[in-house]
Amino acid sequence: MTYIAKKGLDNMTNLSMQVTRSPRKVPVAAVVILGLVFTVGLFVVGFDQGHILSVVFGEQAFEEMYIHELTHDLRHTAGFPCH
Amino acid sequence: MNTILFISIVLIAGAMAGTIHGLTNLALVEPYLDNAIMIENQALFASGQAEDTPEFWAEYKSYRSWQKEGQVLASAILGTSMGALFGIVYVLSRDALPKGGDLKKASVLAAIMWFSVYLVPFFKYPANPPTAGDGETVVLRAALYLLFIGITGFGVVVFYQVYRRLTKNKRFVAFAGYAALVAVAFVLMPPNPDENTIQTELLNGFRIMSAIGVTIFWTTLAIILGVLWQRLRPDSETNLEHH
Ligand SMILES: [Zn+2]
Repeated sequence: MTYIAKKGLDNMTNLSMQVTRSPRKVPVAAVVILGLVFTVGLFVVGFDQGHILSVVFGEQAFEEMYIHELTHDLRHTAGFPCH
Repeated sequence: MNTILFISIVLIAGAMAGTIHGLTNLALVEPYLDNAIMIENQALFASGQAEDTPEFWAEYKSYRSWQKEGQVLASAILGTSMGALFGIVYVLSRDALPKGGDLKKASVLAAIMWFSVYLVPFFKYPANPPTAGDGETVVLRAALYLLFIGITGFGVVVFYQVYRRLTKNKRFVAFAGYAALVAVAFVLMPPNPDENTIQTELLNGFRIMSAIGVTIFWTTLAIILGVLWQRLRPDSETNLEHH
């Protein structure tokens, strides 16, 4: 494609974009908050082996694995690695 | 963009779809888990690690019903967290999704994400019922699973950028590129290291029901988020600003 033809095409697509799209700001704060929800939730449900409660209960948490036991059935069901 | 409304819609849609997923799992998947755990119990009796007494069964029953309640709660949390990921991708890709209402846009995105972060990884590292896995290898298996999902998920983002830059008649190159990436990862990544000794019938039944459950989750997530977005228009403020 020649430069001019390409330029023309770019202008055309830009124009049609302006008609159909209203450019909007992506809410950065919302993306950060949702990113945290995603990471923490996924870890709790899929991968915790006592880590989170060990902050409060220490070593004992790794032995009891309360969260693991509670979320255990879903780990198998949703395809996370388990026992 | 109304940030609070946007976050609320995303979290509500995720939590609702997750709860529905958890409730369907009770009917679809839990019977298979019960069967698998029953085999474990028999092994415990055979090896003398537990005794086949009424007390054992009383404790077992109350423990299992607690775990089943936990499954519904965990599904709601997982739904909220996958909903959050879906919301992020949706808000970033909404303009690029096919023209139409938000129900249509959300359905297209959910189909792409279901395919790339669930279905493709499922064929490489399928879900397993209890007793199939070795506790010693769980960290390795978790790392492999996440890495594979990372490749198949981010692969879509990369090859979408390629797709955008190609003219219409060359766009198949982007699809071929993604397929090649997935094929290479499929071949090069090590298989699940555990030896699977579980009976085929139980294993297949479990996997089919598990896959149906996750598919129901992505479907309901798209419908709820799409409908809420269409009704509440968290993006409407911005539209006004630009007119
Ligand atoms: Zn398990």
